[in-house]
Amino acid sequence: MSMQPTLLSSLKEHLTLAKELRHLEIHFYPEKCKGVWQCYEVCPVGCWTPNYEARVAIFHDPEKCIACGACVLQCPQDAIELK
Amino acid sequence: MATVFMKWLETSPTAYDRGIQLLTLGRIQRIKERIANAYVHAGMRVLEIGCGTGTLTAMMAARGAEVTGIDASPSMLAEAERKVAQEGLEDHVTLKYMDAVLIGERFPPASFDLIVSTLVFSELSPYEQRYILEACKTLLAPNGRLLIADEVIPTGALRRLFYYVVRLPLALLTWLLTRTSATALRDFESLLEQTGFQARAVASHLGGSLVLYDILPAEIARAEANLPPTVIGRLQHRVTFRTLLLDLWLLFFRIIPPYPKVRTGLYMIGNPTPESPVLVTGNFDLTVRRVVKAIDGKVNVWLLVADSAGINVWCAAGGGYFSAEKVIAAVKSSRLEEVVRHHALILPQLCANGVDGWRIRKEIHWGVHWGPAKARDIPAYLDANRKKTDAMRWVRFPLKDRLEMVTVTLGFYGLLILLPVFIFWRPMFWPITFSIVGLSYFYAIVHPWLPGRDGLYKSIPLSLIALAGLLVYTTVWNPLPAVDLFHWMVILTGLSVFTGAELQGMSPLMRGEQANWGWEAVIGLALVALYWLVPLALGWR
Repeated sequence: MSMQPTLLSSLKEHLTLAKELRHLEIHFYPEKCKGVWQCYEVCPVGCWTPNYEARVAIFHDPEKCIACGACVLQCPQDAIELK
Repeated sequence: MATVFMKWLETSPTAYDRGIQLLTLGRIQRIKERIANAYVHAGMRVLEIGCGTGTLTAMMAARGAEVTGIDASPSMLAEAERKVAQEGLEDHVTLKYMDAVLIGERFPPASFDLIVSTLVFSELSPYEQRYILEACKTLLAPNGRLLIADEVIPTGALRRLFYYVVRLPLALLTWLLTRTSATALRDFESLLEQTGFQARAVASHLGGSLVLYDILPAEIARAEANLPPTVIGRLQHRVTFRTLLLDLWLLFFRIIPPYPKVRTGLYMIGNPTPESPVLVTGNFDLTVRRVVKAIDGKVNVWLLVADSAGINVWCAAGGGYFSAEKVIAAVKSSRLEEVVRHHALILPQLCANGVDGWRIRKEIHWGVHWGPAKARDIPAYLDANRKKTDAMRWVRFPLKDRLEMVTVTLGFYGLLILLPVFIFWRPMFWPITFSIVGLSYFYAIVHPWLPGRDGLYKSIPLSLIALAGLLVYTTVWNPLPAVDLFHWMVILTGLSVFTGAELQGMSPLMRGEQANWGWEAVIGLALVALYWLVPLALGWR
């Protein structure tokens, strides 16, 4: 049994990744949000805007999302999921 | 397609084993056997720094030792886990994802009787080496021992000549066969002495270029004052023959490893004071030079270069090469706390997809600020007191970047497609070269105006435009026979799909190119089938 990544195994891995990546979507739970704005700080495509009065982030333009996962990783409240 | 080939080019765990065997002409195995047989006893607590694929880990555990193996590469660790499980040694081995620099913080003092490390130190900067050696001193139990085997540059002119004559071709051959490369230690014995160790070379192979050191804490501990003061280099924006050559190489062959790296550690840009801001970046040569170019002469800052495996921060963070662990390791080994009087790091925004800011905040109590997405905005960002405008935050893909990235793609895929065409299909070489180059740059220019956000989707209008061009060509200039016309339609459609899909991975603006990979393959195969079958079916000749 060999673990050697050949062109074929690399191909397979990427086809699997491709399937997953296509369907990834942001799920936001605003009730958990405490208004730390890390999502707004790190999103490279502008999907997040802070609502300063309500101290909650707003997720908009989901079609812009590139599923990079930055907001998910930086949210201290685990209020964002990518699945 | 790009990532498939990059993955393949990358050093894989098993290729690494073979590469290291070849590079050392099998001598590393002998050294490992010697370590396990001569130094390891049952019940011994052993720490292996950089366990890699676990060859030595398993050998030591088989001798009855309790081995803790750490490595900073998840894929190597996975292979080590497999190897250890295969030999039924799980109960005697603990494997951990950890940067070597952090051993001092993660294990209690005096918790190991033996610390071993093979071919790790040569990969580290002198500051990291020093930091780890000092940690080893506290981690070793009384009568504990340190064993380091590594490549060294031999002393003596003749030996050195022999070393270069033999090693360089060997290194090239090894890289070609296994994509593994290694560097060599310089002046390691004096570093050991400075950090308070006594070293003895107990095995020397390959003309003194592969050495096993048996290292004990010095009997009379030398005063800390003996350590030479840390010299922090200054980075300046300079254009030299070397940088021009590198730029040219990187313009065409950026995605071919090994990537040019900058030594990790702390650098000055301008004349920073202890109050000046600290910027963090990865160790890809081009990244560092671009940051320096953007800043030099404008603001005075400290630049902390952390290990990102020589990959740009976005791809490195996404691929797991650039992480909080690496940033923490850089902060610790550079002794940043002794240099600056604040606790704030400015990280590139585009590494937030893989560097966990909260881990850095919680573990070492440094503040993490997300800097601008592009290096050129750093001076304005600092002038505004770390305030980021939306323009600094959002990534765009302007014409200049598109042209650059198309060239990067062409350099590699151009070769990949055109080389076989040149060899097997000589008459088509120039027409296909012209088509692929023309289509790529045309696509780069019109990219924002083509409908859709997806590269594959955009390739539909692109191929329609290409087909329209073909139609004009055949009616106005040179009427093609039906079979040639059909073949060219298929070729142009294929190249358009390829071009559209390939540029996908070239900007953070679009989802990773993997997303299109399956379709790209299906369409490609379908087109090849059409190319052969349709003329056959219609009886064209």
